Amino acid sequence: MKTKLTLAIILATATTAAFAGPVEEQIRFRQSAYSFLGWNTGKIKKQVVDHPETFNKDYVAAAANAIAAVANSGLGELYGAGTDQGIGWKTSRLKPEFFQKKDEVTVVANHFNEAANELAKVAATGDINAIKTQFGKLGETCKGCHDLIRIKE
Amino acid sequence: MKVTIRIWDFPTRLFHWSLVLAVVAAYITATLGGNLMDWHGRIGSFILGLLVFRLIWGFVGSTYARFGSFFPTLPRLAAYLKGRWHHLGHNPLGALAVFALLADLSLLVGTGLCSSDDIAFEGPLFKLVNDESLKDKLSGLHAQAFNFLLVLLALHIASIGFYRVIKKTNLILPMLTGKKEVPKALAIPVTGGGPVRFFTTVIIAGAVVWGVWGGVELIKPVESAPVPATTPSF
Repeated sequence: MKTKLTLAIILATATTAAFAGPVEEQIRFRQSAYSFLGWNTGKIKKQVVDHPETFNKDYVAAAANAIAAVANSGLGELYGAGTDQGIGWKTSRLKPEFFQKKDEVTVVANHFNEAANELAKVAATGDINAIKTQFGKLGETCKGCHDLIRIKE
Repeated sequence: MKVTIRIWDFPTRLFHWSLVLAVVAAYITATLGGNLMDWHGRIGSFILGLLVFRLIWGFVGSTYARFGSFFPTLPRLAAYLKGRWHHLGHNPLGALAVFALLADLSLLVGTGLCSSDDIAFEGPLFKLVNDESLKDKLSGLHAQAFNFLLVLLALHIASIGFYRVIKKTNLILPMLTGKKEVPKALAIPVTGGGPVRFFTTVIIAGAVVWGVWGGVELIKPVESAPVPATTPSF
């Protein structure tokens, strides 16, 4: 009986831990996600804003889809307890106040998701001006989280 | 016996008020973010041009615009604090403020040129910075230099207010009109500056700004877009 209880507790802890993974892994995965996002926002910036003469509808749509995919991949899971301390690829820049601001974080995170989904939709139309406008709105949502929960160097 | 002199020449006044507008615009564009970040970059480059202009004008401008006439040397500072400084133009404490502002703005511009907002904006010299951690540090320093600017601006505005209320001296009017009533004994001839030097200095400042933006393109030209792979529809 005791061994069954102990086993159950160990399994439960192990499963939840396995879901989130060790702190360093969470930090590394989310830093990878944002780095990958940066690659894709850079592509859109170049073809839609800086050098529209190089605009390729499919290329930009693929980048927007990638951004939406990352936004919808459940990044929240990578912000487990203790992930404000530790090193992934580099030192975590998550503000400790994050854990007290869960409601505000949910709001800005949802803004990001909505903006990313909208950008993917608009990118599919190939309307460069509409894409540029929505891209700007996306940037504002990125800033939303940065301002709230990311430490300035 | 008082006379009216031209204390702040037109280029200096134009520089000052352009800087006020530019700094406000830079702050607003950075705060709103999104597609306005590109304007933040352009305005920052304009401020670069203004600073280059002021640096040169400090040597070729008219008397009270020249750094030599107001540089806060230790003897001048000591005399001022003892109540023995009686000249025109920036007093030694004001001079310290001027140089502090110019230095901090230069730091802001310098770091801004090399910064990224980690979203979609990069300063024109960002790609020339090779070290990853240095990139983050420069962007962070840009933000810190702005916080310091707020302190300096608060002091600047408070001093103007202090002069207006306590010392009954209006400092804003001379910076708008360029004219000030002074005791005849202090009125030395105002020389230097002039339209030719103004025009030349503007050209040089413009060339520096162009060099920073356009020149970098020559070093690292835009590559044409790669051919995209077709994405299977999952």
